[in-house]
Amino acid sequence: MSQPQTATLAADDITLAHRQFVVAENLSLHLPTAQVTAIVGPNGCGKSTLLNGLARIHTPKGGSVLLDGKDIHRLPSKEVARKLALLPQDNTAPEGLTVADLVRFGRQPHQGWMTQWSKEDQRAFDQAIQAADVAGLADRALDTLSGGQRQRAWIAMAVAQQTPLLLLDEPTSALDLGHQIEVFELIRALSGQGKTIAMVVHDLASACRYADHMVAMKNGTIIEEGAPAEIVSPELVQELYGVSCDLIHDPATGSPLLVNVRRNP
Amino acid sequence: MPDKRNALVNTALLGLLVLATIISLATGTVQVSLFDTLRALAGNADPITDFVINELRLSRVIAGLLSGAALAMAGCLMQTLARNRLATPGIIGIDNAATAFAVASVVGVGLSLAPSAMALAGAAAATAIAFGLAGANGTRGYRFIVAGIGIGAIAGAVTQVMLSRVAIDAANAAYPWTVGSLNARSGQSVLVLGMGLAAGYLVLMSLSRALNTLQFTDAVAIALGTRLKATRIIGLGLSVMLTGLAVSVCGPVGLIALLAPELARALCRPGKVPLTAAALAGASFMLIADLLGRTLFAPLEIPVGIITAIVGSPYLLWILLRPSPRSLT
Amino acid sequence: MLNALSPTSVVASRAFFPPLLAAGFLLLLVVLASLLYGAGPVSASDAIAALMANGTEEAWFVVTELRLPRTIIALVTGLALGLAGALLQSMTRNPLAEPGLLGVSAGSGFAVALAILLGATTATLTTLVAQLGALAGCALVIAATRVQGLGNDPVRLVLAGATLTGLLLALTSMLMLIDQRAADEIRFWITGSVAGKPLSILWATLPSITLALVLMATVARPLAAMALGEKAAVGLGHHPGRIRFLITLTVALLVGSATALAGPLIFVGLVVPFIARAFSGPDIRKTLWLCVPVGPAVVLGADVVSRLIAAPAEMPLGVVTALIGAPVLLAIVRAGRMPSL
Repeated sequence: MSQPQTATLAADDITLAHRQFVVAENLSLHLPTAQVTAIVGPNGCGKSTLLNGLARIHTPKGGSVLLDGKDIHRLPSKEVARKLALLPQDNTAPEGLTVADLVRFGRQPHQGWMTQWSKEDQRAFDQAIQAADVAGLADRALDTLSGGQRQRAWIAMAVAQQTPLLLLDEPTSALDLGHQIEVFELIRALSGQGKTIAMVVHDLASACRYADHMVAMKNGTIIEEGAPAEIVSPELVQELYGVSCDLIHDPATGSPLLVNVRRNP
Repeated sequence: MPDKRNALVNTALLGLLVLATIISLATGTVQVSLFDTLRALAGNADPITDFVINELRLSRVIAGLLSGAALAMAGCLMQTLARNRLATPGIIGIDNAATAFAVASVVGVGLSLAPSAMALAGAAAATAIAFGLAGANGTRGYRFIVAGIGIGAIAGAVTQVMLSRVAIDAANAAYPWTVGSLNARSGQSVLVLGMGLAAGYLVLMSLSRALNTLQFTDAVAIALGTRLKATRIIGLGLSVMLTGLAVSVCGPVGLIALLAPELARALCRPGKVPLTAAALAGASFMLIADLLGRTLFAPLEIPVGIITAIVGSPYLLWILLRPSPRSLT
Repeated sequence: MLNALSPTSVVASRAFFPPLLAAGFLLLLVVLASLLYGAGPVSASDAIAALMANGTEEAWFVVTELRLPRTIIALVTGLALGLAGALLQSMTRNPLAEPGLLGVSAGSGFAVALAILLGATTATLTTLVAQLGALAGCALVIAATRVQGLGNDPVRLVLAGATLTGLLLALTSMLMLIDQRAADEIRFWITGSVAGKPLSILWATLPSITLALVLMATVARPLAAMALGEKAAVGLGHHPGRIRFLITLTVALLVGSATALAGPLIFVGLVVPFIARAFSGPDIRKTLWLCVPVGPAVVLGADVVSRLIAAPAEMPLGVVTALIGAPVLLAIVRAGRMPSL
């Protein structure tokens, strides 16, 4: 069997820099298994950089990222790709590429040099498009789809990789409300299947609603970490975004809701 | 997998190539019928036809075929690496530099290495300089291209200087080199090109999955397990090698590296880098251009580089200048 | 803000005159060098003697009949190309817009080749044809920059120019292959060089150049205003469309004359404004003033180098300008962001 059922991902005291500019220093984070972790914070706090660092896109200048306890940068990239899938923020695809073509790319980490498309690949492909509910769109070109459909197609590709870990960088930023819900519910469903998921989320309310674990960042450091119901407070909101608010709880889901958000006088 | 479309395209292009080859062999000052050409290739024709086809023309056609394929593959590679439809080794001055070095060896200036080796050295040197000047974005920024224009201009000027300083015979002998022609080839160069092309093709086939992922952003490619740096270095190296070897056979024939991959991309499914289709198309283009050059103003022969420039430039200008939303990347 | 643009502003002038004087002085030195040095047997000391009316017949002949006309032609060519480059770059707001790179010179050369092929022979006719060719080339280039999106992408324009140049050169080569008789004459025209050109060519181009200079004087201030953006220029009472037309005409006249005098030369229109702008800043009028001494100095200087570097043979001027210009192009690229205009 080529797919491990679980894998752990952690950052161990890492320092991330962009060119000469240090974005985050001495960060440590352990992703809770089979849960959805949301990384939130104001613009420029380093959350995308952290996610990309965890995904080995950026190499930390200090410390190390540990995949199953081993330094991720010492592992062959293909092996990592079998345990960790990433949905980056910028998703441009070649013109005319169909959904099916895109999802097929997700099988690459499992394919050797000259191996052809195998039954295993086909099974993973079918599973992925079912899970992301893009079966009916399989032969459509990506550029003809709506934003929500396109994101689901990209998630289908990540699912086809059959990895226990899935990282998503702002998966719903450019989407309208309906499509946002679509994507978040898919993410929750994937988590229900046992995947460990981390996502950078722009909107605090969505993060509260759909995440099990929240990591709040500011200026390159993690200032709070825990279940949303526990850590989200008017004080946290003030510290992250510099605005005042009142906090109530969603009567249906119990997750914290911000109301009366206002700028400080 | 449903690669049927690509397989179909490749077969059609192969058919085109075979046709172009046979017509090229059949055409010339001595007109040979298509049927007789086939018989000559099989070894069944009369001695004169056999001589004309197999001794005189076959080597030229093979040279054209191989150099066209090599140029097209190099262009296709470069465009994938640079994520830019217009990236060709020619645009960054590689073929001018390769020509300058090759001309140097032909007219006896400097080291007396074989033209193949010199052309390779020139191509490598130009690439290194363009890279050095291109800065952080490497092949993906605009500075690479502009640096290439400068390098191409210097190389062109240096070639002119060399030609102006040597005896008139040597200069005339080197002239076809400067515009791109199948007349000045040496058998050895063609052989080296053939070997390089075969080896390069094999390497590229094994690299094709990684190259396919380059069509996305860097982050996606890395996430799928591609080793970006290694892929880019090998890809660039192969592109330079193929161009250098091709130039050592036919000189700086422009635009095949641009047009053949364009055709391949238009015909094939998106999502795969169409190296084979580009190679087949490139070989066909070269033969057709050479055929036109030999027949349009017969008995006068127009060098193949001039034909490709005249036919190909309007298309390139159209791509560059149309105000369309379709991006260049 | 307008005061800052006016060259009569005191603070601006103080910084401006020293470079202008220095350039003028440099120009005089280069002129002197041009009269004294050459590839032939007449050495510098012979030439000095000749100028002092003490020299041999031969020296006098070489200096006055060969070097002097050549010097004048080179000066005028440099003036024309330098100004044309500065105008084109300011109008297209593209620091890489150079008549040679954009195919205008090649177009001019092709027009001349075609004319010669069709039988034209007198200097006047070929001069006229060169200018018409340049006009057509310019119109094409300006039309291209008006294409949506192209104005913001300097590289695409330069690529288009390089492609056009390649096309025109190939067509010219083909013409030369078709008609061997014309080939030699064409080759004489299309190689960038000021060697061996008779002064009569100069008289043929003088009307165009004068007209161009007059046009330039009228259009300089509006052009400076256009650097603020078209809408701002309209707000100040200018007519951008008319200005563009006049500048196109001016550039065409200048490039056509220069090509008629010296054949297609690339990079001059890039190097000269580049140097001028280093001292004059973004004000187009100061840049143009500085191009007046710098342009001739660069071309004449290149010509002197072409005589000496390969003595006793001469290297074609076009080759020297390419060798000087390409590093400048590379320096512009290396400097990081495209310098804005």
